[in-house]
Amino acid sequence: MSDTTTVSITINGVDHEVEAGQRLITAAEKVGEYIPRFCHHDKLEPVGKCRMCLVEVEGPRGKQLVPSCTMIVNDGMVVDTESEVVEKAQEGVLEFLLINHPLDCPICDKGGECPLQDQTMAYGPGESRFIEPKRTYEKPIPISDVVLLDRERCVLCDRCVRVADDIAGDPLITFNDRGNHVQILTFPNEPFSSYFSGNTVQVCPVGALTSVDYRFRARPWDLEVTPTVAAHDTVQSTAEIHTSRGKIVRVYAAENDHLNDGWLSDRDRFSFAANHAPDRIVSPKRRVDGSFEDVSWPEALNTIAERLGGIAPERVGAIGGAHNTNEEAYALGKFLREVVGTNNIDAQLGDGFNAQLAAAVTPRATVDDVESAGAILVWGPDLKETLPVLYLKVRKAVKNGATLVVASPWRTGLDSIATSVVRYRAGSGQEVLRKLAQGSAHEDAAAALTTGPVVTLFGRASLSEDPRLAESVAAYGRTLPDARLMPLLTRSNVFGALDMGLAPDLLPGRVGIEAGSAGLDAMGMLGAAAEGALDVLFLVGSDPVRDCPDPALAAKALDQADFVVAIDAFVTDSSAHADVILPAALWGEVDGTMTNLEGRVQTVSAAFPPRGQAQSLLEIVRDLAAIMGSGDILPKDTDTASSSLANEAPAYAGVSRESIFFESDGTGVVVPTGAGTQPLGYIPTDAAVPVVTDRFTLHFAPSLYDDGVITRHAESIAGLVPDVTVRISPRDASVLAVSDGASVVIDDFLTLPVTIDADVAQGSVVVPFNQVATKGLIAASAVSVEPVRGDV
Amino acid sequence: MSSPIATWSAEGQERAQQLLALYPDKRSAVMPLLYVASLEHGHVTNEGMQQVAELIGVTATQVRSVATFYTMYKHEPVGRYLVSVCTSISCHLLGGDEVLDAACGAAGVEVGGTSEDDLVTVERVECIGACGGAPAVQVNYELIEGVTDIKAIDLIDWLRNTTPEVVLADELQQLFGGQKSFDWGVPEPDGAIAPVPAFGPYGSAEEGR
Ligand code: SF4
Ligand code: FES
Ligand code: FES
Repeated sequence: MSDTTTVSITINGVDHEVEAGQRLITAAEKVGEYIPRFCHHDKLEPVGKCRMCLVEVEGPRGKQLVPSCTMIVNDGMVVDTESEVVEKAQEGVLEFLLINHPLDCPICDKGGECPLQDQTMAYGPGESRFIEPKRTYEKPIPISDVVLLDRERCVLCDRCVRVADDIAGDPLITFNDRGNHVQILTFPNEPFSSYFSGNTVQVCPVGALTSVDYRFRARPWDLEVTPTVAAHDTVQSTAEIHTSRGKIVRVYAAENDHLNDGWLSDRDRFSFAANHAPDRIVSPKRRVDGSFEDVSWPEALNTIAERLGGIAPERVGAIGGAHNTNEEAYALGKFLREVVGTNNIDAQLGDGFNAQLAAAVTPRATVDDVESAGAILVWGPDLKETLPVLYLKVRKAVKNGATLVVASPWRTGLDSIATSVVRYRAGSGQEVLRKLAQGSAHEDAAAALTTGPVVTLFGRASLSEDPRLAESVAAYGRTLPDARLMPLLTRSNVFGALDMGLAPDLLPGRVGIEAGSAGLDAMGMLGAAAEGALDVLFLVGSDPVRDCPDPALAAKALDQADFVVAIDAFVTDSSAHADVILPAALWGEVDGTMTNLEGRVQTVSAAFPPRGQAQSLLEIVRDLAAIMGSGDILPKDTDTASSSLANEAPAYAGVSRESIFFESDGTGVVVPTGAGTQPLGYIPTDAAVPVVTDRFTLHFAPSLYDDGVITRHAESIAGLVPDVTVRISPRDASVLAVSDGASVVIDDFLTLPVTIDADVAQGSVVVPFNQVATKGLIAASAVSVEPVRGDV
Repeated sequence: MSSPIATWSAEGQERAQQLLALYPDKRSAVMPLLYVASLEHGHVTNEGMQQVAELIGVTATQVRSVATFYTMYKHEPVGRYLVSVCTSISCHLLGGDEVLDAACGAAGVEVGGTSEDDLVTVERVECIGACGGAPAVQVNYELIEGVTDIKAIDLIDWLRNTTPEVVLADELQQLFGGQKSFDWGVPEPDGAIAPVPAFGPYGSAEEGR
């Protein structure tokens, strides 16, 4: 029975009903007939380049060989994938492909997982008739800091070119020359510097593209594969950790069509060196006379327990937890609320916005909603720099026909494909929003937001922007046709942490705490500590001196606080102030679940045990609670935590490690947000943020490779940290009488070179966030800019 | 924002703007612009490819992909007169190889080489679409049909002695050509002033008529 959405086709004499409109190669694969291929890739446009997928299809003039990757299935199609003619064609194609292929499989990283190797074994002629010399090239050539190219292995399938151009939008590698000389190349001195370059290594069907990190490190058959998520940002792309002899050798993307489509950013893929870094903290430390001394776990925990004994609960606080699993965060929250008795908990570092809005906004958008949106409004951090895989999704949505509006004080990665770009002076967002809503300006943008469903991606464009603007944007987004809202916080598992109650005004499972009973947020705690009103501060994998808007305040707070406990894997600018450091397990060393920015819960798994004496946060707070005599309050392990939060945290009812494993096919489960499923349904309201009128306002621009502790440890991408300059508009440059490259002083202490940039709104200055050269700059809206005397 | 081609000659810049205006999609202008860039730089250079890329909004490697595909883009300096001798089937049968040898001998170069005075480069090319008038030769892509080895030597000598500003197909045909395949009937008033094809000149055939 054919209806309009299916067609019947015959493959090798067997009839099948298949979905209409798809490629023959895909349809055949779905019914169990695998057709070999090199250039075909599910997520890339067909090009029909390699001819490996030739099959015989009956036509009016008899059977004909056709490439099944470009052929759309037709009703009544009769296909033969195994005939003698097809076999001959496959042998021919392989013989041709191998003419110039070096057959250096024994020293090739791809050997053992190479489609060319496998398909030659399965479909190849067995022998070659070619005796001519093969082409050779200098090898390998680095086409970027992370990717190497061995041109003689290339089969010219065009996959890397399509990933770079169509998916990433960075067409920096392509075919050069002609005929027998065709080769993949970058332009001289213009490396393949794309945030997504590692994907080409994963999709290359031969060993032509390899990664610097993995080259000659392991053989595929020796690898252990641990399914997990890439936890660097809140997209939490589904991924795999590949280990060899207890060490991570590479991270691969996993297919998750609801999320990352099998792509990863290079930060996700290449920054795993932190786990094995030599400077990692591997045993508990206590400060004695100003320097750290190794101590045993019981000693360290006893010191903390003693200090907590008899202390007023409101004089204790904890900042962090955004890098931990949900189960760890749940245990931490329980420890602070039920053992210590305080609501002074915050997984954000003053760098996000209203926790209730972020955790419980309705109606909430999923990543699938973004992909199928009619229109998208992005008003928040530059997605390419902060949430690169979501950036790919928005690109895909635009390709699918969505209109896109981007509002930002400076150019973002999405501007070039946006239907309309609203550029505004940092600090004046509220006014822009008002005009947009009233229709008194930005008509193009308003017109591009009329086709529902309209998904609004809202967040803080930079640390220097008023956090309340995000709520005003959300409130506006809510008025758009068939509105869906997606909050953009960027740090790792911060959404999971908020859902587990790591916020002063949230309890596990999206339950709000009334304003009167809420605790202090991160900035509140730092302020209190600086004034001597907070005695004990826990830093849980957080580095407020680097990451919060006011580094000086953070440093003062950590100095003033009586007792600072850092649960961390490294000595950072913040944990260096601690009295006790407890070695924390990192991603890749802990089992559990994490929640991404749409509320999708996925499992993460340990690929190996924590380094040295490091422990998971759950074990740490469990043991500490036990010493304090409250051992029974905390879950004893991940599974107990998982089932107890599935029972206790309302929005997570029934969402456990087990249910995700059995119900989700590896793609995770989205926590339902409909009426009655989460206690707190947060409706954003316009926050009426005052417009900043100072002469200059700051846009403290985030970049993917900032000077964070994880990036610094990843040798292969550490070199990609951008140059630091101050960007100002041409008008301001002429008013200040500074030229390109001249120096200016920011906030009276920071001297930086100027870049004149037409994409900066007049009155704003753009400074990159969290770089060595911008250390100490306060992320306030207003900023002063003075030319260096004698330099103009 | 300074223009990527600010260093080009005034004519080159003007020509580039005309070419850009011809195409609804800027990147379509890549090929004629590469000719203008070669003219400005003497041959296709990295700088030229980058300038064209910026002009049409693609990456330099994409421009290079085009520029390395076609053999008429020269990536190394060539002489002021590029003499292309066809040795494909028709020309081969009627003495194209002898013409090539004679031209090389007269210029004192190997195939593909440039004479010491930098005036003449002789290259071997595949069919240039004048099979009916074989053997065929082009000077800066201006066609001569029915060339013999003797005429080829005369041609090289003439180029070096008179160093014409402009080479014109009709004039060359008269001086050095023989049997023409057939009269196309379309006057071709545009001569070539450099070793790039003189479509109107250096652009689309639509121009200059
Ligand atoms: S380098 Fe790999 S992915 Fe790119 S064209 Fe060659 S074989 Fe294909
Ligand atoms: S897979 Fe069909 S031509 Fe390459
Ligand atoms: S064979 Fe020489 S022009 Fe065609």
